[in-house]
Formats: sequence, C-alpha cells, structure tokens
Amino acid sequence: MKQLYYKVDKCLGCKSCEIACALAHSLTLELFKVLKEKTLSMPRKKIIVCRGKNYPISCRHCKDPKCVDACMAAALTYDKEKGMVIHDDSRCVGCWMCVMACPYAAVRPNIKTKIPIRCDKCKDKNELACVKACPTGAIIWQEEIAMQPGTVPDEGSNRKR
Amino acid sequence: MRQFVIIGNSAAGIAAVEAVRKKDKESKITVISDEDYPSYCRCLISYYLAGEAKEEKILYRPESFYKENNIELSLNKKVIRIDPEKNRVICEDKSQMTYDSLLIATGSSPKIPDIKGIKKSGVFKFRTIKDAKDIEALLPVVKNSCILGGGLIGLKAAYGLKKRNIEVKVIVKSKQVLSQMLDFESASLIQKRLEENGIELVLGEDVMEVIGNGDIKAVKLESGKVLGSSLVVVGKGVSPNIDLIKDTKIKFNEGIIASNLMQTNIPNIYTAGDVCESFDITSGEFSLNALWPIAVEQGRIAGANMDGDNLSYEGSLGMNSIEFFGLPAVSLGVYKVKADNGSFEELKVLDAKVNLYKKLILKDNFLIGAILIGDIKNSGIFLRIIREKIDVSPFKDRLLQENFGYPDIMDFVKVKENIYV
Repeated sequence: MKQLYYKVDKCLGCKSCEIACALAHSLTLELFKVLKEKTLSMPRKKIIVCRGKNYPISCRHCKDPKCVDACMAAALTYDKEKGMVIHDDSRCVGCWMCVMACPYAAVRPNIKTKIPIRCDKCKDKNELACVKACPTGAIIWQEEIAMQPGTVPDEGSNRKR
Repeated sequence: MRQFVIIGNSAAGIAAVEAVRKKDKESKITVISDEDYPSYCRCLISYYLAGEAKEEKILYRPESFYKENNIELSLNKKVIRIDPEKNRVICEDKSQMTYDSLLIATGSSPKIPDIKGIKKSGVFKFRTIKDAKDIEALLPVVKNSCILGGGLIGLKAAYGLKKRNIEVKVIVKSKQVLSQMLDFESASLIQKRLEENGIELVLGEDVMEVIGNGDIKAVKLESGKVLGSSLVVVGKGVSPNIDLIKDTKIKFNEGIIASNLMQTNIPNIYTAGDVCESFDITSGEFSLNALWPIAVEQGRIAGANMDGDNLSYEGSLGMNSIEFFGLPAVSLGVYKVKADNGSFEELKVLDAKVNLYKKLILKDNFLIGAILIGDIKNSGIFLRIIREKIDVSPFKDRLLQENFGYPDIMDFVKVKENIYV
C-alpha cells in the first residue's frame, strides 16, 4: 500500500501542495476558474508551521481509523484492499464526529458543503496532485514500509507494486 | 459450537458482532432487538425527520449484513430477564435462549417526566426510527409544537420539526440550552443561532401539564403561561435499560458496571454502550457516557474479549459534536468548573461577533476538558491530549493559536508515527 511521507527539512511551506490539492478536487480543474466556482474547492492538505518547520497535515488513512468508529451515519468505511478510509458523501449529515475523533486534526469541517474535508489519495490515482506539485520533492508517495524510528524512506523510489 | 447472544442491535451490538466475526466465523451469534428494524443510525432520526436523510440511507449496515455474517437476527423481541445461573435469557414472549457468552447492549430509553397529561397521544419520545415516523405521520395536521428539554435530543427534534415548517418552542428548565455539554457563554451563541432560525426558546421554565381532550391543544408552564401546541416531544435525557438485570447479581449503579474488559461482575456476561457505566478518564469515576463513538469502541472490545481476547478499554469521557444551522460545537470532558476553584485554569477566546468561542480547562497543566464553538478543527487534537494525559506545558501558549496542530504534540503522543522524516 502506498503512503505519503514528508521530508520536513525540504518543505518550504510554499503551499503549492495545498493549491494543487484544491485544484485537483475542483470542478473545472483550472486555476483561475476555480475561484469562480459556486462552492470553493478546499485543500485536503494543510501546512502547519511549528517550531520553525513546516509540516504538511492530511489524512493518514489509519488502519485503526477513529473517524470510522465515530461516524454515526456509516458514511466512513475502511477499505482494506485499497488501504483507504472512504467517505460516502451521500450518507454524510455533517455532524463532525469524524473531526472530533481524528487524532491528527487531519479532517476539517466544510460548513458550507456539510462534508468533511479529507484526503482521498486523489481517488486512488497513481500520482497525487500534492506530490506532483511539490517543487522540492518534500512529499514522497511510496509503498509503505515498516520503518524503524529514524529510518529515512527511499527518496523518490516510487516503486510500482 | 459456542453460542453468543447479543442483546441490542445498535452501535455497541454491531461493533461486538463484527469483532467476533473478524476471527471467528464458526460460533453461533444471535442478536436480539426489541425494535422492528435492522440496525440503523439512531442519531440520524432527526435528519430523517428534517427530510435531510432518506430512510434507505440511515441503515447502519446493509440488509445483507446479517446473512453474510451468519448472524441470527431476532427483531421485535424484548429480553425481560437474565438468568446467569442457567446462562439463559428470558423474553417477554416467554421464549428463552441459552448462551455461552452474553453481551448486554440494551442502550437507554427517554426519561418521561411525571406531569399531568404526559401520556396523551400526541406526546412523543424521540429515540427510535418508529418515534420519528410516528411524528412524521402527524405533521400534515400539526402547526405548532413544544419540545420538553433543551438537551441534544430536544434540540435535534426541534431542528427536525422546524425544517418541516412546524412552529417550535423549546421549553428548557435550565437558564441555557445544552447544559450537559456547554457553559453559559457557549450556549448563548448556540441559542442565538437557533433563534435566528426560528426556533423559539423558553428558558428557565418547566412544563406542568399537557392540555387537551383527546388531541393535544397546549402545554401549561410553571409560570402559569399556556402555549398552544398540538405536538409534544419529550427530550429530558435518557436512562439505561437495566430492568432485565435488576434481580440478578450483576452489579449496577445507574448503568451496569463495566470492567476495563467490558465485563460485568459475572465473567461470561459483558456490557457496552449506553447501558453501561465505564471508567471515565476525566473524572476518575464510573460514568454513563452515552455516545455513539464510545458505544462502538466499547462494543468492539466486548466482542473481542467475549471471543477470548484480553483487550483493555482505556476509559470513556463525555464528549459530543453537533451542528445547528451552520454553527458547529464540540464539548470534551469537563466543560464547566466553579469560578472560585483555584485548582483549575481556563484558557479562553471569545469573539461573539463571529460566533467563535474556545475554552480549555486545565488542571496542573493537564487538559481535562474543552468547549469549541465556530472553530472545531483542532477538537481531535484536544481529545487526544485529554485521553493520552499529555502535559501541555511545552506548548501551552500555542494551544489556542490559529496555527496550533498535531506537530505541536507529536513528540509527546503514545504511538509515534514515522511519516515526517
């Protein structure tokens, strides 16, 4: 299963990933037209600046997802095969239990759409918008490896399964 | 072959069934429910009433769930007694069932105040899909309604009715709504939002009588005031459904006492969800914390342990997340302390103009509770800090800052991840 890793020291905090993410989830997929869309597309990823470093935050697709447990509408499910937490918009009522439950604050409420904002791994595309947009290669999309603390993932190896 | 009996077909019961079936495809599982409906999202009945959630969307699991998981589902059956000596449950219809391992996940029922006229037809509880449907069936002839109680259930009923263009007055004994999860300041923001959207609140008043010959006509308040109303919904809290164990040796207080294994004091009888009292990590006492996510967690642990695991539950805490008319609110743990109690520290941000309120309650630099209105994005982080008992000293000044987030706590959490390199 592929996962996202971040080289924090390489992250400039330029928010290219945020913009690319919002764009990839818009209707028009065109940067300047996006701003005119009726419901503004929101980035699923956010950069948080902490102690002088930039940390991109987005859904981890936890194997033991607290948000799925918390979802009182059964809109969230865990897809074992895809290794993803899947959200069924048509079931969601916008109660924000998932926001309350997420231990990373990686799920944010979109009050306008009443649908939580969270990473969908670009709907399981092979290349993610944020990875593609990152100018410094700080975002790594690769097969999950059982890393020992302190191990550095193999940069840019993006191995195919 | 072992026989599991699960009493209760909602959050805790289903989580338990799924936990058992994860490893054990063989044992017999019987799920008993006193409702006439496969498992559904109970908390969605207000959205159903509002017309925002369709009936087919509120099933918690697909109808094929029971067959696929080889579960015998027994609907419309009420267990009235448990006989731990003979390992059997006795139902209202006199039928009996024996078990090797039993889960009591019977949930809770609305408390009905003892006032004149409360039994008249037109007075409804708001707990089951049947309640919602019964209310819905009357809507064409209802113009105005009264809700008894300003708690979550009362307000959700009010929301549902208002969305169907019924006039709604909510009668609240306390001086604020949601007194079980919000303080006065935060409640006033919610109240303003409700009132702006046409829900009338009558605070500091109690209903003394439901008036009407046959059909309901009005409710009479403590002050003597009479409010016209042809529909009444009772939202005065819930109490655990423990009648079935009252003459057994199973220990209970308000709810059934659950050990950290979600076991009762009888080894092959487990309990989970609204019916049980579990260790509350913010108060250090056994408490009822009747909430969907907690029921799921507890049910999963109970189910796994019934099937031979030895999982320990870290404990529950009072929490909730709601949204009314676009204003979200989250309450976690201890949400109110007496102002003169010096051992607690409050960090607060209030900007009523933009409906923003954040309050954190600390004790010796440990977070024990929070209220968040308007901006709830960090509620999961605060919940984690409470649950994992993280000392906030290193980042205390950042807690309420806009840019506070997971990176601030990542070095202090129990399970470290390795995605930042």
